[in-house]
Amino acid sequence: MLSYTVRRVLQAIPVMLGIVTITFLLTDAIPGDPVSIMLGPSPSAEQAAAIRAKYGLDQPLYVRYVNYLADVVQGDLGRSLYFGEPVTQKIMERLPVTLLLLVSSFTFALATAIPLGVISAKRRNQPTDHVSRVVALMGVSTPSFWIGLLLIIAFSFHLNLLPATDLIMPWADPASVEGASTRWDVLVTAGEHLIMPTITLGTLQMAAVTRIERSAMLEVLNEEYVKLARAYGVGESTILRKHAFRNAQLPVITVVGLQLTQALGGAVLTETVFSINGMGRLIIRAINNQDYELVMGTTIFFGLTFVIGVILTDLSYAYIDPRVTYGERE
Amino acid sequence: MSADEPLLEVRDLKTQFFTAEGTVRAVDGVSFTVEEGEIVGIVGESGAGKSVAASSILRLVEDPGEIVGGEVRFKGETLVGFEEGPDGELRERDEMLSNGEMRGRIRGREIAIIFQDPMESLNPVFTVGGQLQEFIEINRDLGGEEAEQEAIDMLREVGIPEPEARYDDYPHQFSGGMRQRVLIAMALACEPSLIIADEPTTALDVTVEGQILDLVEDLQAKYETSFIWVTHDMGVVAEICDRVNVMYLGEVIEQAEVKDLFYDTKHPYTGALLDSIPRPDETVEELNPIEGVMPEAINPPSGCRFHPRCPHAREVCIEVHPENRVVDGDGTPHRGACLRHEETFMAGYWGSDPLGNETQGETDPELTTDGGGSDE
Repeated sequence: MLSYTVRRVLQAIPVMLGIVTITFLLTDAIPGDPVSIMLGPSPSAEQAAAIRAKYGLDQPLYVRYVNYLADVVQGDLGRSLYFGEPVTQKIMERLPVTLLLLVSSFTFALATAIPLGVISAKRRNQPTDHVSRVVALMGVSTPSFWIGLLLIIAFSFHLNLLPATDLIMPWADPASVEGASTRWDVLVTAGEHLIMPTITLGTLQMAAVTRIERSAMLEVLNEEYVKLARAYGVGESTILRKHAFRNAQLPVITVVGLQLTQALGGAVLTETVFSINGMGRLIIRAINNQDYELVMGTTIFFGLTFVIGVILTDLSYAYIDPRVTYGERE
Repeated sequence: MSADEPLLEVRDLKTQFFTAEGTVRAVDGVSFTVEEGEIVGIVGESGAGKSVAASSILRLVEDPGEIVGGEVRFKGETLVGFEEGPDGELRERDEMLSNGEMRGRIRGREIAIIFQDPMESLNPVFTVGGQLQEFIEINRDLGGEEAEQEAIDMLREVGIPEPEARYDDYPHQFSGGMRQRVLIAMALACEPSLIIADEPTTALDVTVEGQILDLVEDLQAKYETSFIWVTHDMGVVAEICDRVNVMYLGEVIEQAEVKDLFYDTKHPYTGALLDSIPRPDETVEELNPIEGVMPEAINPPSGCRFHPRCPHAREVCIEVHPENRVVDGDGTPHRGACLRHEETFMAGYWGSDPLGNETQGETDPELTTDGGGSDE
């Protein structure tokens, strides 16, 4: 298992290199001149030349590429042109917000989808199954931003129950949170802020996982080893929990891994709808401002998240199914 | 349970599958018994209903299948039993075991099963030892450590080398033959009175099959467990069974001691099965397969179900359905379901016109020789 982990991590290095290279080339190919954005519409030639020299933009592409690569390897993603701060600092500032949103929406999605899928499979073609299938179908076919807008209209404007904008970090200092005096107040406020963005982002995941959980369980319940367990007097609930469940999680993990990357895209929309200052809004602002250092930095960071997601998927596979790592121990 | 009652008695068992195309009568009135310490074979082509009959005994028939009639009695308990209700409909009898009782008292504990495909029968994500131990714990009320010791002993018994070391291995680290040994260990370790072996050697190659058969014979003699051995292979029947039931399209068409079945065959289908395999005691130019395929069990042929393929079929075979009756009472009763046994069935077989199903192998040898000679 250890050698498998090490190998998977090493394999990620060329992938990351590819991501950096493609990001660099694509950013370079974006039309428009960052210098003109920085200096306004008609800069003097000297000013422009000075800026170009300062950022190394007067050098040929391959030199800039090598320099950038050297910086990235050392963990330096450059300096945001718009904010004037290091890109890594900007990312670290926004990352916890997006992570909170992702963790919360995946917790919501998995906590509802797995039981729903299992029950659906167990009561195949019964009313419970039909209801959960219709819900799942609606979930996968509804755009997340639309769910967000509907929630805001219903719970913020009409019922006035939940706040429509921003996220509060549960670990924030009570003094900095409006109307909060204790830690408990902060937690409650954070929870209230989190509910609608979580549902907005998590519904798609919930629906997709429910569908795959159901079909995976149905397939496993037809396996010979499940029939064998039944023939040896194992109870139905043990069969469901032990003999079938673990095998059925393999396709589910693949889908969850893919959903993780989709959720990054979903976070951009969700953060926009709820005016949350996370990674998603950062990337949009970077693009709008032609802040090319920030665009590259955030894109590479999203790429890194994706690679980590894939590695985690593979490792969970190996953990669940002994056949994956077979042959590596010898 | 009275002294002369057999270990297992299956009477007029009927299992049907309700599909969109119609009702499949997979098992259609099957009766047989298993005595203690006996290996009873169920033999027939694919689709004859052998496996369904076997799983019906444990009430493990899956949707859309359902046991719709008949009786299965085991050690004085009613595993399957129907009676006529007040409106004439069939309903389950009160003494029939509930699903919970089947699970807790019968499955694994009293009747264990070995499936056909050893590659699919073990759960790939759990260790072999763990699976064995779980079933032993459930069916013998043993604690974890005792069950583990029992599992290791049984793995050694079925010929797994270094059982302690292999205990924590996963199924994919075993070969097909070794996995089938594990499944046999699983069945024996639960100390059942009866083991249903559903084509356990079909997926194995011939040398491994031979080893497994030898192993089962040894262990059967040692533990005196009864077996129901489901197979399509007459060779396996000859090697391992004491008595045999030949099934065709959901019915038992011949039932006899293994020696009688091979040397005093009473049903043309059994004869055809025997002709279609190589025999050490007869040298033939080429094997003689059974003509045609088995019809669908949704709409079985009228009269004798074998008549469309039977070389001896006559007009009467389309009309009259032969029940399985004793056709030779000497020694152990030899039962058959063929109208040619006129003294038993009295359906007028010999006076009826032949249907002309005869294949070349079945026509008068003298005529063939003459005709062939003049042509060449």
